[in-house]
Amino acid sequence: MDIRLLRASDIPLIQHANLENLPENYFLKYYLYHALSWPQLSFVAVDASRPLKTPYDYPKIVGYVLAKMEEEPTDGIQHGHITSLSVMRTHRRLGIAEKLMRQSQLAMVETFGARYVSLHVRVSNKAAIHLYRDTLGFKTEKTESKYYADGEDAFCMKLDLDFIREQLREQEDQPEEEVEEEEEQGNKDKKKKKNATGGEDVDEGEAVGDVGRDPAKAGTGKGEQKFKVKVGRALGVGELVEKVESKHS
Amino acid sequence: MPQTLSTREANLFRTVIRYYEDKQYKRGLKSAEQILKRNPKHADTMSMKALILNAQGKTDEAFALAKEALTIDMKSYICWHVYGILYRTNKNFDEAIKAYKFALKLEPDSHQIQRDLAVLQVQMRDYQGYIQSRFVMLKARPQVRQNWTALAIAYHLDGNLQQAENILTTYEKSVTTTPPRTDFENSEALLYKNSVIAEMGDHQRALEHLETDCKNCLDRLAVMELRASYLAQLGRKEDAAKAYRALLDRNSEHPDHYKGLIGALDIPADDEDSVKAVFDEYAAKSPRSDAAKRLPLDFLSGDRFRTAAKAYLTLMFDKGVPSTFANLKHLYSDEFKKETLPAMAKEYLDEHSGAAGADAKANGDSSKGEGAALYFLAQHYSYHMSRDLAKATEFVDKAIELDPKNVDFHMTRARIFKHQGDTAKAAEAMDHARSLDTRDRYINSKAAKYQLRNNENEKALATMSLFTRAETVGGPLHDLTDMQCIWYLTEDGEAWQRRGNTGLALKRYHSVHSIFDIWQEDQFDFHSFSLRKGQIRAYIDLVRWEDRAREHPFYFRAALDAVNLYLSMHDKPQYGANGVEGGHANGEDAAERKKAAKKAKKEAQKAEREAAEKAAKQDPNKGASSAQKSKDGDDAKKKDDDPNGSKLAATADPLGDAMKFLSNLLQYSPGNIEGQIAGFEVFIRRNKYLLALRCLKAALSIDKEHPKVLDQAVRLRKALDGTMGSLAPKAKEVIESELSAVPGA
Repeated sequence: MDIRLLRASDIPLIQHANLENLPENYFLKYYLYHALSWPQLSFVAVDASRPLKTPYDYPKIVGYVLAKMEEEPTDGIQHGHITSLSVMRTHRRLGIAEKLMRQSQLAMVETFGARYVSLHVRVSNKAAIHLYRDTLGFKTEKTESKYYADGEDAFCMKLDLDFIREQLREQEDQPEEEVEEEEEQGNKDKKKKKNATGGEDVDEGEAVGDVGRDPAKAGTGKGEQKFKVKVGRALGVGELVEKVESKHS
Repeated sequence: MPQTLSTREANLFRTVIRYYEDKQYKRGLKSAEQILKRNPKHADTMSMKALILNAQGKTDEAFALAKEALTIDMKSYICWHVYGILYRTNKNFDEAIKAYKFALKLEPDSHQIQRDLAVLQVQMRDYQGYIQSRFVMLKARPQVRQNWTALAIAYHLDGNLQQAENILTTYEKSVTTTPPRTDFENSEALLYKNSVIAEMGDHQRALEHLETDCKNCLDRLAVMELRASYLAQLGRKEDAAKAYRALLDRNSEHPDHYKGLIGALDIPADDEDSVKAVFDEYAAKSPRSDAAKRLPLDFLSGDRFRTAAKAYLTLMFDKGVPSTFANLKHLYSDEFKKETLPAMAKEYLDEHSGAAGADAKANGDSSKGEGAALYFLAQHYSYHMSRDLAKATEFVDKAIELDPKNVDFHMTRARIFKHQGDTAKAAEAMDHARSLDTRDRYINSKAAKYQLRNNENEKALATMSLFTRAETVGGPLHDLTDMQCIWYLTEDGEAWQRRGNTGLALKRYHSVHSIFDIWQEDQFDFHSFSLRKGQIRAYIDLVRWEDRAREHPFYFRAALDAVNLYLSMHDKPQYGANGVEGGHANGEDAAERKKAAKKAKKEAQKAEREAAEKAAKQDPNKGASSAQKSKDGDDAKKKDDDPNGSKLAATADPLGDAMKFLSNLLQYSPGNIEGQIAGFEVFIRRNKYLLALRCLKAALSIDKEHPKVLDQAVRLRKALDGTMGSLAPKAKEVIESELSAVPGA
């Protein structure tokens, strides 16, 4: 397993993983839109140990997080959003989903100054809810009824990212040498706390399925409307988003 | 002479343009007609009408009208611009560029035409033209940073790194106030410049630039990774080690960071203990890190390996990690490790069956502990390098006995049947696994795949339809095609091919081909989008990947299937006609195939009928919000006049049609021997001996022992001996000298 930043060449197999695992699917262009707007936020877990069969083998994607920044936040606060997160059923219980999420959250704060991150999750998806709430600390904001195309409700969840901001500030305030030790200490503390709350052995259990799927929102007519993007107006990228969004309405 | 409009009509003409831009096509047409009634030869209005017709999907009509307009007024830039747009929307970018250039000649100050042309040029990789366009645009608006960045990109893509850097620097120098730290565009532009410097190979300067100019860049991970790699390449080992440590603190699951650190620490490669100590340090620091514990298994040997493997397997089995085997099977190239891993798993089993196993059961999760070890061993004996299917069955049955409803166990059971060659039983077993967790699409996909391997196309589609979007017009297959589900299209095509339905098989392979066309076009919008977003490094990464996208195994597999199918169509012309394979050689088999093919055809016809009915029921005036009708005329464009591929199968020139796929195989994956072998087969049938020879030589350079290739050498020799007389002396000479160097020929 190798957890690293997404590259353009990964996208066909990210799309493949999404199609294989989740009911909410997107055109390749929608992935490109993420990768070219917020390339710092999306990460993949690849099976790096597979022996190569040809010189053209692409690393197999066993998990990914596709994330974005809200372009025009209705609350006026910079925040990130998880569009889609998935780990192959065959690669669960290694904490991949959690690790992907943490990488993305950190980058949201560092690169884009995000204050919080939001996501949607099916109310029936216990494993995913467990990951978000118990392992990562998300809080349920509200329930959106019939969010999903098949009529299922979604929990709208949020995680305040100020704790990451705080950590970064602490690191910055300290001279380099000390940081290393402090951090080590900090990690241990964190681990201890985790053990105490039983967070250490969290496993993803079943499907950590789809959490994103903004798309359905476009149809509900309330909340964030995603496609007015100044960015894409003249060109059809706006149109692209619009298309994908309405697809699920 | 071009007609001129009255003031009132000139105003009307402007409304036509506005209606077009607002996509109010009917109104636009009406206004255009009004003008044309009084001025039937007003070329600009004719052009605008053509543009609207094109937007409505009436492409042929649009082109005819636009051409007519041009013959009336060759000097109208509007006519040329429209002509360019028509070509552009119909993806004929080369012709579009020509038309745009004419338009620009007539109207050199049009910013819009210049911008459109620039996008077309970079899309077509006409970098010289792109540089020129961006230069003009920069001169027109030098105050906009994007224009500087764009020109730098143009030079960069053209390979002129120095000039790219100069342009970026010139802009930086022209700015008097330092941009704030949060200026994202600035932050990215600096990192982009850094990547250009690094590409020139000057790591010292790249490092200096990174440490000064990029010190505060917002993409922290990029700064850290670049810095570590520059330090390593400059041999500044102590600093590099520190940099890699910082990266590992951030992400202990990235093998490159370990590699970087170990390289910087100057540990001799054969000092296993010292290397292991580095990993141990991070395993202790990040207890949840998998990489720190697993990666040492790659280099450890002997007893050290045994100890580490035992510890790792114990941990994984205790946690019940299903990917344990998948994450270790690459070690099987080492004979000792291949023996040791299952031995350790058996040891674990001996220690944990019985009482301990009962413990796990009490916990309610028998996929952990004993179950996990049994599962590992079942996979071990199912894997091709260590295959013993009887033993595999034994272990998987034991695992299932322990946990009868475990999806993963049943999935492996299905795979074992597959390896036994029993596709029917495999499909059945996988479908059983699916039934154990009907909410999980992963197992659903696997079930469909196994049904396809068992040539059950209809059943597979029904399985897939459990997760496709119900409201898509045309049913699940349409949804899967829309959503670019390549694996399904390929497997479906292969199954149809096995069933002798050439038409549907070709249809699927062509669908995959079209998806790659779409992917190539997808980048079009990003040429300008990325400039506004400022994420230049990601954009460059995309452009470079797009240039080789068809090397992707997804493309290769479907394209190779297509070429091979066309070859058999050529060899056995009875394949063609109705798209279903006709009389086959031996009796029973042939009858069976015929029956299957007939049935398949019937079903396909039924599906087509149903789809047509369903489409007819759709109110064309309704559902403008639905994805199916995102804009006027979309429906017209989408109509498929050959849903069953009968026309594809009826081709009179299968080898000619194969070239569409073959040329991509040879261009994008020349190092894949299967492509070269297929190339030889096509070329020798077309009597293109030089090209056949080229494939043969390429194949030999990849694997000179390959039996098929050796056979091809002999066949080429024979073919030449037969026809040498008719070849041009020069060609003959070349082939002779080349072939004489080929062993066996």
